Amino acid sequence: MSIDITGVSKSYGDFVALENINLSLPKGQLTALLGPSGGGKTTLLRIIAGLESPDGGSVVIEGKDATRLPVQKRNVGFVFQHYAAFKHLSVARNVAFGLEIRKRPKAEIAERVDELLQLVHLSQFSHRLPAQLSGGQRQRMALARALAVEPTVLLLDEPFGALDAKVRKELRDWLRRLHDEVHVTTVFVTHDQEEALEVADEIVVINDGRVEQVGTPDQLYDEPANDFVMSFLGEVTRLHGHLIRPHDIEVSATPVGGGVPGSVTRVLRIGFEVRATVTTEEGDVTVVMTRTHARTVGLEQGAQVWLTAVAGATMVAPLTVG
Amino acid sequence: MAERHRYPKSPMTYLLRVIVIVYLVLLVVWPVALVVTNTFENGGEALRSIIEDPDMMAALRLTAVAAVVATAINTVFGVSMSLLLVRNEFPGKRVVSSLLDLPLSVSPIVVGLALVLVYGGRNGWLGPTLESWGFQVIFSTPGIIMATAFVSLPLVIREVVPVLEELGIEQEQAAQSLGASGAQTFWRVTLPSIKWAVIYGVVLTLARSLGEFGAVKVVSGNVLGETRTATLAVEEKYLNFDQQGAYAIAFLLASVSVVAILVVFLLRAREDRRERSLS
Repeated sequence: MSIDITGVSKSYGDFVALENINLSLPKGQLTALLGPSGGGKTTLLRIIAGLESPDGGSVVIEGKDATRLPVQKRNVGFVFQHYAAFKHLSVARNVAFGLEIRKRPKAEIAERVDELLQLVHLSQFSHRLPAQLSGGQRQRMALARALAVEPTVLLLDEPFGALDAKVRKELRDWLRRLHDEVHVTTVFVTHDQEEALEVADEIVVINDGRVEQVGTPDQLYDEPANDFVMSFLGEVTRLHGHLIRPHDIEVSATPVGGGVPGSVTRVLRIGFEVRATVTTEEGDVTVVMTRTHARTVGLEQGAQVWLTAVAGATMVAPLTVG
Repeated sequence: MAERHRYPKSPMTYLLRVIVIVYLVLLVVWPVALVVTNTFENGGEALRSIIEDPDMMAALRLTAVAAVVATAINTVFGVSMSLLLVRNEFPGKRVVSSLLDLPLSVSPIVVGLALVLVYGGRNGWLGPTLESWGFQVIFSTPGIIMATAFVSLPLVIREVVPVLEELGIEQEQAAQSLGASGAQTFWRVTLPSIKWAVIYGVVLTLARSLGEFGAVKVVSGNVLGETRTATLAVEEKYLNFDQQGAYAIAFLLASVSVVAILVVFLLRAREDRRERSLS
């Protein structure tokens, strides 16, 4: 295991940020800490980095107890949401910073910086100041800077949070490919479930200072441990008093055994997709299907339909009634 | 870079401009210009007589020493104090922060008297003890430096604190995560980021120190050739109807401050140009 977290807790005054966290992250993996804001995921990341110290528990990195180790001695790479670029240094000097601190020979530093700038596609900008780069470029520079010191773990705090949607998507794909090349144990914090599902090998869902579930994106999506994980990972609706994904509901124009009868009260088309609200005796149910399918079923406002769950649909009984 | 937005010009704009210019001319430009013209009324005669007078040179030297030493002390103290105030939480922080403004709000005469109360050689609280160790504060250079440092104490801090607050701690944390020690973080990241604030603070402190009069007058004893500073010499000459001499020294004092501000202005402009030429 690359990172072992045992019994870690942290409070700020009355506010409990983390409560008895136990977590093991294997070597070379790309892990996402996913959860709503204020859930404690950033605090956990900062505790792993040594930027924050836990009230109790221990953090072991590559077999070495790091709980009392200051951030300088942990050999972690940390990437901040707002880049934390050294504004007075050129892109190349930013990347070289950690190596200069380690007093590596000049020629070696120059070579390594060249290599890294190529890796993050910033070679032609090496003499610019951070202020002359776009947000995405600055974040790539920050990543190169963190990778320069060959960290045992790479930690990213909402790395794409400050970027616009398009750049965000690009950087996401790029991070995945980069990780496949570099293979450093990587942990990143995000509140965007799509980002986590798309990029991570493993996802840790954190809410209210507790770990809700740990698993691969498929496990989390197909076998959510509870209603929170189920509803955080994607859209849900209710059928038979269970949480179910809207695309897991079969709509039939003729009565079916066990089907819930209802009438279509609202139909909305978004591109190839059709979303409809069906009013039943249990309440409103949202269904989603392709446009072609909707046409076959005859899904239109006022139509009488019967709803059943498709075979193998993920359904979770809600724990909290309300 | 922030875009520059301009309001459309109205008669009001021009009226405001005229008011500002008239105010500045009446209060600053005209009087200072008169000092210059009065100094050179007889060509370089007044300046030459000052430079040839060993007592006046001693006064100028004493002022230079006091100002430079006080500025050095206040720079080191000011930067450390700013870091302490911005980067740390401690009980009584607000009290300390308001105490730091005291030197600006209290009359320099009061500062001088207060220093005499503590360090006075005969009746001071600490003075007689120091004197018995052979260290004279009041009526001597250390007292002059202390008085000068006291009155210019907050200037570096007031320049640096807002910049440090604006800077935040992420760059410092990034440096530490890359292995930098506290000292390395300060020299390589924090100081370069607050460089201009420190430089402006130093210039203001230097200018203020060169011009200090009230506090120094109380603690120096005003002994010709020994503890008479340049500002005290200006008063002395003026009172003795040597107006030419008074203007000449005043001119020298003012020029040093103007030159310091001008140098910083030019350096800053050059750096801005270099940064822009990169993009």
